[in-house]
Amino acid sequence: MFHVVLYSQWKWSRLIIALGSVAAFALPLVSVQGAARPDTSPLQAAELLQSVQSWGTLYPVLAAALGLLVAIATWAPDHRGRHVHALSLPLPRWRYVLLRFGGGATLLAAPVIAVAASALLATWSATIPAGLQGYPVALAIRFALAVLVAYAVFFAVSAGTARTAGIILGLIGGVILVQIVAGVANIDLDLFGKVQVAVLNWPGPLAIFTGRWMLIDV
Amino acid sequence: MLKHTTCLCLLTVMMAMTPGRLASQSVERLQVRADSLLREWRRANALADMVDSLNHARAGGTDTISVGALRIVTIPSPARLREAAARAWPVIDSLYGSEARQLEQRPYLIAPYDPDTTSPKPTLRGATQVPWDKDVASLAMMLLMNVPIGRPDSALQNWLGGPVAPIVHPVQARAAVYVQLVTAPSQPARNCFLGVMNDCRTALTLGQSPDPVDQWHPSAAERRALVSRSFAEYFSYSDHGARKPALQSCRAGSDSACTELLRSLPAGVLPRPLTYDARAALVHVALRLGGREAYHRLVATPGTPIADRLAAAAGVSVDSVVALWRSEILTARPAPVTVPPWGPWAALGWTAVFAVCALRSSRWRVS
Amino acid sequence: MTNAIEIRQLHYRAGRAFELKQLDLNVPSGAIYGFLGPNGSGKTTTIRLVLGLLRPLAGRITVLGDQIPDAAPRVLARVGYVPEHPHLDPTLTVRETLRFQAAFYPSWDWPCAQRLRREFELDEGATFGRLSKGQKGKLMSLLALAQRPDLLVLDEPTDGLDPVVRRDVLSALLDYVSQRQATVFISSHLVHELERICDWIGVMDNGRLITEVPMQRFKNGIKRLRVAGAPPTAAGAPFMILAREQANGGAETWVVRDWEPEMAAYFATIGAALNDVIDLDLEEGFVELLRTFRGPPS
Repeated sequence: MFHVVLYSQWKWSRLIIALGSVAAFALPLVSVQGAARPDTSPLQAAELLQSVQSWGTLYPVLAAALGLLVAIATWAPDHRGRHVHALSLPLPRWRYVLLRFGGGATLLAAPVIAVAASALLATWSATIPAGLQGYPVALAIRFALAVLVAYAVFFAVSAGTARTAGIILGLIGGVILVQIVAGVANIDLDLFGKVQVAVLNWPGPLAIFTGRWMLIDV
Repeated sequence: MLKHTTCLCLLTVMMAMTPGRLASQSVERLQVRADSLLREWRRANALADMVDSLNHARAGGTDTISVGALRIVTIPSPARLREAAARAWPVIDSLYGSEARQLEQRPYLIAPYDPDTTSPKPTLRGATQVPWDKDVASLAMMLLMNVPIGRPDSALQNWLGGPVAPIVHPVQARAAVYVQLVTAPSQPARNCFLGVMNDCRTALTLGQSPDPVDQWHPSAAERRALVSRSFAEYFSYSDHGARKPALQSCRAGSDSACTELLRSLPAGVLPRPLTYDARAALVHVALRLGGREAYHRLVATPGTPIADRLAAAAGVSVDSVVALWRSEILTARPAPVTVPPWGPWAALGWTAVFAVCALRSSRWRVS
Repeated sequence: MTNAIEIRQLHYRAGRAFELKQLDLNVPSGAIYGFLGPNGSGKTTTIRLVLGLLRPLAGRITVLGDQIPDAAPRVLARVGYVPEHPHLDPTLTVRETLRFQAAFYPSWDWPCAQRLRREFELDEGATFGRLSKGQKGKLMSLLALAQRPDLLVLDEPTDGLDPVVRRDVLSALLDYVSQRQATVFISSHLVHELERICDWIGVMDNGRLITEVPMQRFKNGIKRLRVAGAPPTAAGAPFMILAREQANGGAETWVVRDWEPEMAAYFATIGAALNDVIDLDLEEGFVELLRTFRGPPS
């Protein structure tokens, strides 16, 4: 069963996966390009770090984009048919969802492998000044986790109905409303800050996206 | 009242001195004199503020908070200054030791105000204004960053690049110095990282340097990079472009042109291998080694070289101080990966949570 | 006789506008059960409830001996379903679609699938999204039949198809049923089509089942009578009067249900004369039935 589900998802996601893998492969190489050539003076360590750091901001963006697009593509055939075909198949629903989830996650292995391969290649081929070290495996693992979390979030959202989306939007609107009311009433309440801390700081769900994404660091 | 009298006196002195001597003195000497007068002006102003505030206190409009030798003259308010002072005092005391006693005569002036009102803020001349709902940690931080202790001599300040102040986040500060050692575009700094102790002294600018250009930036590549990246614009336009040809020669590979250009920079402009943070960390190591009288010894002999003063403060040789500093900096290497060890499990856990949310989705009822 | 589908006291609501109330329905095993009703009467909703695609508010559904929706996966393995609208992945080719479907059904019959594909002249390499409406209908029927189901649930399977395709699809279904003795639950508003193939009929309107009878009884039981000299109220009639209209020359036309030939004697008892008994086809009977259901008989 899994292979046919995977094949069906491949047909919907192949362009996203192909482009995502190319971008994922290019990113580590580009981040050290120029700054870590053999003829580069070891005195340019700061520039290398700066380059790696500035390109590093694209890893979480790429991970989120891949998670979003693949999650949408994963559900696309079922959304098209209003889930009638999926529901009429002779297997428990949780198992079908897991097949779909597993299919998308498997496809996302391609860009993750691309990042890992490219990161290893970049650190192997670059001249890294003393005191700095390459972290290709840690970076690739972090990218894999970020892709997986983004995919899971959007997979869950995409699996929901318009009602679910309405509830989520309602919650966000509620937070905004409470914050506005608290502001008007001069109540010391920082809901945005609290939500931000809860979501973006460890062990929050999106903490994996935050912080520095350094292929080369001290 | 005193403030205005003092200021007027100083102005009078300045005006009396200036015209007669202008012609006979060089620009540099005049500059030094002007700086000195400015310092006097500021000192007099601060003194006048303090006296005014103390008078105000005597009149009954203020409170004085005492924790150890630390004094805070403030307006009665709900601000948690006493708790903040209790937090700040041990740090101040451990840094300045016996010298911290002088804070009894040099109080903080703090004017808390109600942040939720538009009515005029209470005035306390020369006081730092803070909202009275500020938390204790922030207030303590403010106290630590503005310790009103007497400034050390200019030689120490010039070498250090700032005051001898408590380091609020020592771990982060040392980690930042570690990054500097690794990334500074200066060979001595990098050699120091690799373990060459002499270069550590150079990077910390502890030795006498007749030619800092050669000492701080010894390689030709370094000098060329410095000129073309940090001072290209300056050399292009200074002296009406007179140094442009030298700049071009430097860029073309002439090391002598680069060196000459760097030597032509005004004093204090040539970047030192390491920043204030590195030297401040060194001073803190010396003070820690030297005990309660260390700060006193550090500031007691303004005329002697900095290395000797640090050795005197620490009670050990300057090499030992530098070696300990280096080892502390290397130990403070910042964590390269910002994900905690259990981060991957948390991420996988969230993935599972969202996958379960998808399983529970109401999509599984066809509309 | 056991029932392939049994529904008892089913209650379901979709929004405020539509509701299935106290629905009882029985589809005998081996029967071809025509499920008739106007658009929006609740046919598709009932079918989705039968398959476990929707969850009822109350009531019990038993399909092939198992409870729905609890045992839906086991039941669905024995059910071939052709939905009202084609819903397959438009990017898959016919070959890939067959492979996809085969992976989920242990009883999948590849020789049957290939034979039907050839009979329906479906191009293996064409994607589902590019097939014509008729080809899609054929493919959906193919998928349902190649599963070798014990029960075929067909929701308007020939709706919008041209007569040739409709004939092909229906003949394939009938072939299968005759070979396997399978049960067919087919909904349609093409009454003539059902009249030819069904042996049971159920009529839905406005979320309720109006009638459920063997086809023969339904057809024979609804008649148009020409009556003369009837009093304004016909008390004690042994049949149900669905409609009563004035005709030429003082005569009347009655449309009645549950008619039996021996009931002709009733007219003598009320001083009227029965001049003629006319058979109605299924469509006319269906229309008259709905008219009665929606308004009081005249």
